[in-house]
Amino acid sequence: MAAETDTRNRNPLVRDDASGTGLVAAGAVGLSALLFVVSLAVLFQAVDLTDAVAGVPVVTLLGGGLVVLGAATVAFGVGSRLGFVETEPQASAGMLAGVVFAATWVVVAGLVASQTLGLGTAGWLVASLAVGGGVFALSVGTREDVGSTVPAGALAAMAGLVFLAGIIGPEWVWDLGFEQKASFTGGFTVPTVTLFCSLVAGWASAKAYGGFGARGRHTGAYTLVYLNAGSIVGVLFLLLAFTVFKGISGLVNGFAVGLGAGPESTIVLLGQSISWEWPFYLPFVMNGVGLTNDFNGVLPAIVGTVWLVVGAVLFAVPLGVGAAVFLTEYAERGRFTQAVEVATNGLWSTPSIVFGLFGFAFLIPRFGNGKSLLSGMLTLGFMLLPLVVITSREAMLSVPDEYRDASAALGVTKWQTIRSVVLPAALPGVVTGIILGVGRIAGETAPILLTMAGGVFVPGSQTPDVIGGFAFTSTPPFVENPVLLDAASALPYQLYALITAGVGASGNVANPDEFKWATALVLLVVVLSFYAIGIAARYYFRRELNQ
Amino acid sequence: MSETTQTPTESQQNTTTTGEPETTAGETEEQVREEWRDYQFAGEAKLSVEDLDVYYGDDHALKGVSMDIPENSVTALIGPSGCGKSTFLRCLNRMNDRVKSARIDGSVELDGEEIYQEGVNLVELRKRVGMVFQSPNPFPKSIAENISYGPRKHGDIETGLLARLLGRSNEDERDELVERCLRDAALWDEVSDRLDDNALGLSGGQQQRLCIARCLSVDPEVILMDEPASALDPIATAKIEDLIDDLSEHYTVVIVTHNMQQAARISDQTAVFLTGGELVEYDDTEKIFEQPESQRVEEYISGKFG
Repeated sequence: MAAETDTRNRNPLVRDDASGTGLVAAGAVGLSALLFVVSLAVLFQAVDLTDAVAGVPVVTLLGGGLVVLGAATVAFGVGSRLGFVETEPQASAGMLAGVVFAATWVVVAGLVASQTLGLGTAGWLVASLAVGGGVFALSVGTREDVGSTVPAGALAAMAGLVFLAGIIGPEWVWDLGFEQKASFTGGFTVPTVTLFCSLVAGWASAKAYGGFGARGRHTGAYTLVYLNAGSIVGVLFLLLAFTVFKGISGLVNGFAVGLGAGPESTIVLLGQSISWEWPFYLPFVMNGVGLTNDFNGVLPAIVGTVWLVVGAVLFAVPLGVGAAVFLTEYAERGRFTQAVEVATNGLWSTPSIVFGLFGFAFLIPRFGNGKSLLSGMLTLGFMLLPLVVITSREAMLSVPDEYRDASAALGVTKWQTIRSVVLPAALPGVVTGIILGVGRIAGETAPILLTMAGGVFVPGSQTPDVIGGFAFTSTPPFVENPVLLDAASALPYQLYALITAGVGASGNVANPDEFKWATALVLLVVVLSFYAIGIAARYYFRRELNQ
Repeated sequence: MSETTQTPTESQQNTTTTGEPETTAGETEEQVREEWRDYQFAGEAKLSVEDLDVYYGDDHALKGVSMDIPENSVTALIGPSGCGKSTFLRCLNRMNDRVKSARIDGSVELDGEEIYQEGVNLVELRKRVGMVFQSPNPFPKSIAENISYGPRKHGDIETGLLARLLGRSNEDERDELVERCLRDAALWDEVSDRLDDNALGLSGGQQQRLCIARCLSVDPEVILMDEPASALDPIATAKIEDLIDDLSEHYTVVIVTHNMQQAARISDQTAVFLTGGELVEYDDTEKIFEQPESQRVEEYISGKFG
């Protein structure tokens, strides 16, 4: 229905964007973006509704902003229809806009009729359907400049007036009367409604800024996509910032810089011992928990996590890549490879507690009947294995057959071709898979809970020293490592234990809450550094391939 | 051989009829066809193919092809798409073994030695019979590594840390090999200052010459080329054609091409495959293009069919 415009009635090739009227639309877009951000901040309680900015409460600012936004949007649309603004509207706003506006107004009218006016079921149903139908007719039946702005602008203006008039304010509560206690509070409703209205009005004003028509729709979609992407990044950032903010004070407790400030470390390698003093002191990551410690920390859990991941990767990567080589290069494609594919995909989606239970029931009885670092490594290795197989297989399948042909035509054998051409070309993909997998297993709690355990507050003496634990014996198998068979702690489990430990179990730690958040921050940093290492490795291998 | 030669006007008259080969008195159709395919040349055959049949599953892709390929010359294989010329080419170094559904009957002899028999060393065979593919396919490695890849995998060049420790490293030989192959492929002047750059950064024509250089690195006797210039622009194609001309002094070149002008320009003898996977005519290039004996070949060459 939108294609009914006269094509010979050409629009000007160059449009003057800097005109005053264009600025109105641009201002409306900017205002809706601002409202979007502020309402997000209110929603996540970074700002309170009753806080005053320049003497005016936030809720009033939001209401006023919505009224201005709505008025500007409507004014632009009507101005365009009356010919004051030069635009290129199509005959109709289109089905999508019509449905969105109609659905919104059905809800609004229904709420107003049933809650404010107190009409019965029949009354509000009729009212909401009538209003919805009217809005649908308005947005679809009129020219695009009116149809896409007036319903949106009116919605924003009405919401703004409701906030300004105090009908919905910070203290407002709507008890839903469910069996379980459920209610909408003003603190939730106001920012949510503002968020929605700013999106709708922002969409409409962005269309207006683009002068409606194909170009306007493009600007509208573009604005929505950007607001969406921005809010996702914002939420992620907020999450990170929240953890950092809460945890940083516990982390830097007792931090000191200077020669001789840090503890002494010793590494024994082939009988040679190298020792050095750290030039800084960060007790939270350098100490365990102890009676004599000046500051307590989570060193044993950090080292435990690192060894856990290293062990799982050492176990899973050779096996997984080997299986992928067999499946892509040697096995004939058919029932068998399909079965393996289904099995690996299924294993990857198996809940981690099931892996943990397997480790608990199968591995622990075989490794000295106690929870141990080795059981934890193998359990997480089993968890990592399917993802390594899946991604390595994908990566090898995407290596062009031309490479294999070229190599075969030079008389190079299949295995040599795999080793020197296929694997290097597939390496970035394989590394990507390992990164994803490590990101998942490094934060797993359930399998560790069942296979590795550890304590709530772990003394520094329990820091696993896997390299130093190797010892030679005179009887087979000639090498032993008791450290691998000891229980060890890892950050996710320790965090879980801290949260569930309760108030009484604080031990030597003065401020358990601070300790908890600092542990969470360290876990985050450790997992992110595994990511960073993986991404750096992928970047390196990719550059090797096409520098 | 020239008994069945017909003038173009004569064959024109038959064009609209069955398209079946025309016989003269006293000879069966089979004998005539046999003679079209029979190409006599002085000297020994480098490659000698007898009754080669190839099946892909139920598809009979190549039907009883027999031909001898003379040494140090350029042999062009032409024909419409799907006529089996690439299949034929890939049989000459047993690349078709890599296709799982392919079944190959018949005999191919390289210097009188059967390559389709038990105990053939595919590594040695493919070192002696190299191959260049339709689209340039250098490895995602440096230019020098692309050239030294084959010899390194065959143990002729050792540059690793272990080889250096054992005193067996021969980096000088490698550098010589890289330079020699690149010079032979007429690429040295263009890339001598960036041998360590990634080969994927070269232009298409340069990549294809690099692939030819890579093929030369294992010191082949025969070079098979599967439409080596079809993905290249006219200038790069001209360079490749000059190169093929030079190479034919020392190597036996067998080239598949779609481009009949190209076949006419560069080859010494031409084999025409037509739809159905049969070799129809095989003779001196000049003869094929000026006075083909088969009517179908004449139609194909004059662009009436195919």
